[in-house]
Amino acid sequence: MKKSHIIGIIVIAIAIGAIISTVSDAATYADFGMAIKNPGKQFQVVGQLNKEKDIIYAPESNANEFSFFMVDKNGNEQKVIFNGAKPQDFERSEQVVITGSLEGENFLADKILMKCPSKYQDGEAGELTEITAESKS
Amino acid sequence: MIEYIGENLLAGQIGNFLIFLSFVASLLSVVFYYNSSELSLEINSWKRGGRFFFRLHSFSMAGLIGILFYLIYTHAFEYYYIWRHSSSDMSMKYIISSFWEGQEGSTMLWAFWNIVLGNILIFTTKKWEGSVMTIYATVQVFLSAMLLGIFPFDIQIGSNPFVLLREHADMFNLPFVSNPNYLGFVEGNGLNPLLQNYWMTIHPPTVFFGFATTLIPFAYALSALWKKRYQEWIKPALPWTFFGIGILGLGILMGGAWAYEALSFGGFWAWDPVENSSLVPWLVLVGAGHLMLINRNKMKSIFSAFALALFSFLLVVYSTYLTKSGILGETSVHSFADGLPGQLIIFLLFYLLIALYFLFKNGGQFLKKSEEDAFWSREFWMFLGALVLVISAFQITLSTSIPVINALFGTTLAPPAKPIEHYNSWQIPLTILVTLFVAISQYLKYKKTEVVPFFKKITPSFIISFAAAIIIAVLLEIRDVFLITLLFTSLFAVLANLDYLIRILKGNVKKGGSAIAHVGFGMVILGSVLSAGNKKIISKNRTQVNINFENNKDANNENVMLLRNDTVLMDSYYVTYTQRRVDGKHVYFDMDYLKVNEQGRYQKEFSLSPFVQLNEQMGNVPEPDTKHFLDKDIFTHITYADLENLDSTAQDTYREPDTLNLKIGDSLFTSNSIIKLANFERSINKEKLNLQEEDIALGVKITAKTLEGKYYEARPIMVIRGNSIFSISSEIEALGLEFGFAGIDPDTGKLKVLLAEKNKNSGDFVIMQAIVFPYINVLWIGIIVMVLGSLLAAWNRMMSGKSTN
Repeated sequence: MKKSHIIGIIVIAIAIGAIISTVSDAATYADFGMAIKNPGKQFQVVGQLNKEKDIIYAPESNANEFSFFMVDKNGNEQKVIFNGAKPQDFERSEQVVITGSLEGENFLADKILMKCPSKYQDGEAGELTEITAESKS
Repeated sequence: MIEYIGENLLAGQIGNFLIFLSFVASLLSVVFYYNSSELSLEINSWKRGGRFFFRLHSFSMAGLIGILFYLIYTHAFEYYYIWRHSSSDMSMKYIISSFWEGQEGSTMLWAFWNIVLGNILIFTTKKWEGSVMTIYATVQVFLSAMLLGIFPFDIQIGSNPFVLLREHADMFNLPFVSNPNYLGFVEGNGLNPLLQNYWMTIHPPTVFFGFATTLIPFAYALSALWKKRYQEWIKPALPWTFFGIGILGLGILMGGAWAYEALSFGGFWAWDPVENSSLVPWLVLVGAGHLMLINRNKMKSIFSAFALALFSFLLVVYSTYLTKSGILGETSVHSFADGLPGQLIIFLLFYLLIALYFLFKNGGQFLKKSEEDAFWSREFWMFLGALVLVISAFQITLSTSIPVINALFGTTLAPPAKPIEHYNSWQIPLTILVTLFVAISQYLKYKKTEVVPFFKKITPSFIISFAAAIIIAVLLEIRDVFLITLLFTSLFAVLANLDYLIRILKGNVKKGGSAIAHVGFGMVILGSVLSAGNKKIISKNRTQVNINFENNKDANNENVMLLRNDTVLMDSYYVTYTQRRVDGKHVYFDMDYLKVNEQGRYQKEFSLSPFVQLNEQMGNVPEPDTKHFLDKDIFTHITYADLENLDSTAQDTYREPDTLNLKIGDSLFTSNSIIKLANFERSINKEKLNLQEEDIALGVKITAKTLEGKYYEARPIMVIRGNSIFSISSEIEALGLEFGFAGIDPDTGKLKVLLAEKNKNSGDFVIMQAIVFPYINVLWIGIIVMVLGSLLAAWNRMMSGKSTN
C-alpha cells in the first residue's frame, strides 16, 4: 500500500467524522412542544417575548438568574430561565432565539440571541440589531 | 414638482456616471486583455487597449470612492447611504469607518484594493499580463455591477450608493419627502455603536486588502491551467502569496483585537461565522503557499497547489456571499441583512465553475501522475501540513455553512449550541499537528534527509519545550490533556524555529523570513492556549449577603453585583465601584482595584472604566475596559446596569419610604451606613417649627455611621394635633437618607420610623464581569512577528525570483 493511499483513507475518515460531528453537534430548530417531549435535549427555539407577563431579574439577590415567558412561533408559551445577566434592552426585543433544553418545568437557556427593531424606521423592513448573551458553565 | 433646498445633486450625478463608466471600462478591459491573453511579452494594440480601459476603470472607481467620502464628510444626508451610515457629530476616524459600514462601501473598498494591485500587476506580470489581467478585469466587472443599482426586467442589478434618501424604497411615501426644506431637520442615523472603535477604522481595510491579494495566486493559477504552462506561474505568484498570508493574517487578528477590546465576547476569538469565513481563506492560502514552494522546482503535487491557489479566492467570494447575502441571519452577531444574494451566487458560481473546469480538464492529468515523496523529506511533511490546513478549513466551513445546508437541502439544523466547544474539539487536535509540522519541517531537507543528524539537531528544542510545557501546565494549573499537548507543540514550534534561525541560519534574518513567520505563528497559538485556554473569571467571589442559588443548578458565577461604594474581593484584588459618570453618549462606571498594603489599609492599584454607549436607535452597547500588564490583562465588563434615572434630578429624588418598627437602641443597615435609634428628644422648640401651642411633639435622635467611620445625626419629630398625627422629617443630605417619625405602636411600644433613600443610593449598582487573561501579550507579539516574517519571506521570494530571471 502506498503512503498516499493511507493518507487518502485517513483524510476521508476525518472528513466523514467532521460531517457527522457537525450534524450531531448542531442544535435543531424546534418549538416548545418538541422540547417538552424531549427533555434534556438541546433545541433552538425562535419566538417572541411575552411582554404582558413578568420579566424577572433581581440582581440584588442573584445576578445570574433571569426569567421570562416566551411564545414560540406555534403559539406555545413557556417559562424560560437563563443563568446569566439580563441582556440590556431585553424588553425591546422583537424576536428572541434561545438555545437550551427543557429541565423540569422550565426551559433552561444557555444562549439568548435577540433582535431589536430600530426606532428610526416605521416600515416593516426594520433593521435588526442583534445581541447575544451566553451563559458559560 | 417640489424644489428641495440645499441638496447636492451634482455629486450623485457624477457618481452615477462614474459607476457606469467603471462598469463599461472594466468590461472593455476584459475584451481587450482577452484578445492579448497569449503568453507573450509583445505589446500589441489589444494589450494597450486592455491597459487603457483598466486604468480608465481604476480612475473612475477611485473618483467614485472620492465622491462618497466627500459626501460623508459634508454630511450630505440627502443621500440614503450617507444618512444611513453616518451622522453629523462623528469624528474623522468614524467618518472613515462609516464609508464601509454598508454593503456598497465595502464592495468599493474591495474594488479599491483590486485596482491598486491590478495597476502594480500591469508592470510586474510581464508575459502573464494578458491572461492575469483578463481575470482581474472580470472580477472588477462583477464588483462594479454590484454598484449599478439598475432594474432591467424588474431584476435588481447592484445596489447604488447614490440613491437619494427621499427616493429610497423605505422612505418615498413618508411625510418629510413633501417638505422642501427637509434637510434642515434630517439628521443622519449614525454608525452602529459596535463599530465605533478605532480597530474598526483599520481592521476592514486590512482584511479587504488581504482578500484582494488572494486574487493574485488565483489569477496566476487559472492562467497557468488555461495556457497550459503548469509550473512557470509559481515563481511570480509566490511573493504575492506570502504577502497575502501576512496581510490577511494581520487583518483577521485585528478583528480579534477589536472583538477583545470592544465586544463582550470575553475573548478575542469566538468562532463567529463572520470570523470563520475570513479565517478559512487564510488557512487555504497558507496551504497554497507551502504547496507552491514544494512544486516550484519539481511538480510532484502540482494538482493540489493549483487547487488551493484557486480555492483561496473562491472561499473569499463564498465568505462575501455568507456575510452579505443575509443567509447567516440568526446565527451571527454581525451579518449585513440587506443583500443581493442572487448576484453573489452568480459571482461565486462563475468562478467556481471556470476554476473546476480548468482544474480537472487541464490539471487532471497530474492527479494520476503524482510521484511519492520520501518520508524523510521536507516536501512530504509540508504536504501533510497543507493537508491538515485543508481539513481544518473544511471542518470550519462545514459547520459555518449550516444555514446554507438548510437552504440547499431543506433541513432544519441550527448552528452548534456550544460553538466554542464544537470548533475547539476539532481545531485543537488539528492545530497540534500543524504546530508539530511547523517545528520539525525546517530541519528536514528537500528530497532526502539524513535521519540521525536531523534528530540530533532537533533534540535540544524538543527537550526544553517538553520540560517547559510541563512546568507551565503545573504552575498555571492547566488540566486538559489536549491543551497541555498544544502548549508543548506550540512551544516546540517557537523554540525549534528560533533555534534554526540562530544556529543554522546564524542569525541571517534576511533568509529567515519563514523561520520568523513560524516563530510568530507558534507564539500566536501559544498565546491563545495561555490566555484563552486558561482565562480566569475572577468576578465570582460573592461576598454579598442574600445570594439565592435555588433554581440555579448550573450555578455559573461569572457575574457579580456591585453596589456603589461596595468593596468585593476578586482574586487578589478588592474591587470598588466608585462612581458613575455620564459623558455625552457614554456612561462610565469607575471601578477601583485595590490591594491591602502592609499597614492593612486599602491602597488603590489602578482604575478601570468600562462604559455603556447609549444609542437610542440601535440599542445600548456595553464596552469593556482592560488593564494591560506585561504578564496578564484584567478585563472588566458591565453586563447589566440600570440606565434609567440617569439625570441628576432623578438621582436626587427620594424613593417611597419604608416603614420600620423599631425600639430605642435598635440599629439596622441602610445602603450606606448603620443607623441607630439613640434616644427620645422631649424638649422640642415648637415656635421654631411653627407648631401650635397645644400640639404634642416628640422627637427621636437617630445616628448614622458610615463604613468609613463618619458620623451623622437626624432628628425626625412626631406631632399629635387633635386626632391626627403627622411627622416632621429630618434629612441627612450627605447620605441621601430621610427619616420620619410616624407614631408609636401602643401594644409593643415600638416606634414607627419612615426611612427613605435617594435613587442614587442603592439604585446604583452594576453587574460586572472581570476576567484575567494571562500572558495575552505573547499572542499580540506573535501576530507582529508572524506578519513581519511573512512579509520578509515575500520580499525574499521576490528578490530571488528576480535574480533567476
